[in-house]
Amino acid sequence: MTELERALTLLGRELDFPPEPDLRSRVHERINRKRRVGRAVVFAVALVVVAFGIALAVPDARSSILRFFHIGSATVERVHTLPPARERPLAAGLGPALSRHDAEARSGVPLVLGGVKPIRYYAQPGLIATLLEYRGKPILLAELGGDQAAITKKFVMPETRVEPAEIGSIGLWIEGGRHVLIWQAGTATFQRVSRLAGNVLLWVEGERTFRLEGDLNKRQMLELGRDITR
Amino acid sequence: MVGRPLDESDLIGRAQRGDKHAYEELVTAYQGIAFRTAYVIARNAADAEEAAQDGFVKAWRALGRFRAGAPFRPWLLQIVANEARNRRRSAGRREHLAVRAATEEPSGGAAPSPEAALLTSETREALLAAVNELPDDQREVISLRYFLGLSEQEVAQALDLPEGTVKSRTSRALERLRESYD
Repeated sequence: MTELERALTLLGRELDFPPEPDLRSRVHERINRKRRVGRAVVFAVALVVVAFGIALAVPDARSSILRFFHIGSATVERVHTLPPARERPLAAGLGPALSRHDAEARSGVPLVLGGVKPIRYYAQPGLIATLLEYRGKPILLAELGGDQAAITKKFVMPETRVEPAEIGSIGLWIEGGRHVLIWQAGTATFQRVSRLAGNVLLWVEGERTFRLEGDLNKRQMLELGRDITR
Repeated sequence: MVGRPLDESDLIGRAQRGDKHAYEELVTAYQGIAFRTAYVIARNAADAEEAAQDGFVKAWRALGRFRAGAPFRPWLLQIVANEARNRRRSAGRREHLAVRAATEEPSGGAAPSPEAALLTSETREALLAAVNELPDDQREVISLRYFLGLSEQEVAQALDLPEGTVKSRTSRALERLRESYD
């Protein structure tokens, strides 16, 4: 250690930091409060999943029940006609590619990536997205934290199949016909031109909503999803 | 600077199984370093307090993904630092680090220790002013490394940077500070 480094270390001991706050009691209060809310939400979601499963199993019930479905920060909506949309790259509407550091800073969402290999990062407030390669195919992973960002998906049955998926606290698999995807942050939609989306796995883990999109089947997508959050 | 609880891995294991009390022990052990880390990044006490608090809550929710046996402190500080960076972007008064008034004169007329004698009052002020003038990325690395006593590896993890980047930023910052110190 040089003399300058020793001087800096000594200086550190003499700095006038603001008094250390008592965080323990506040953290205690928050993790307890959140937990109670979390349990209520999990219970409500479990009920919805059951209803959803029944709705999918009974054709007559589909049209009357499955109009809206909320999963984390995403809303899945059945419509009679898809809004105007066209094919676009997976990362369209997410802004320029960023470094991981900048993407986490912009989104405010620390990335959960597990063992997968990223290619590029994108971010909007409340949303971080990673373009990655899996089984030789490009896949887009989006993670939404808190309630700043949202996804709306519109689809038409029977072209598009929607079914529960066993991942996280609640999961949803969307496959088949194209559906329209709209990203949103706060009150502003940051992808104003909607795009057609491919197969999608949506799931909730803790307070985070995950979305994987790409040309994989349900089993492959679940395998990738579990790799990311394990 | 901040002690680690002796049974940290036990506390982490219990907290991962949902034991809130064990997690609160970890909060008590790390709240000081978490708050100071947030403060050197956000440069505002209120923002730092919020960042540290939110960081602890987010770390609690993410504990399931914490790898058993990995060092807890840099993992936690990375979450806190990220929260602090988000708050730094918002408008608000930015504070500079200052030296404690009481340290300017040794108490009881005692002679300063040989180590303390390294730093005269003027040198101290000049060095601190130079640190405060560094670009944010260099100031953060210097503050975490020398003022808060984190290892180079911990600084890299807390700031989510490669170790090589921490080394080069530290080296550039020391070069600039040397001008004020010599």
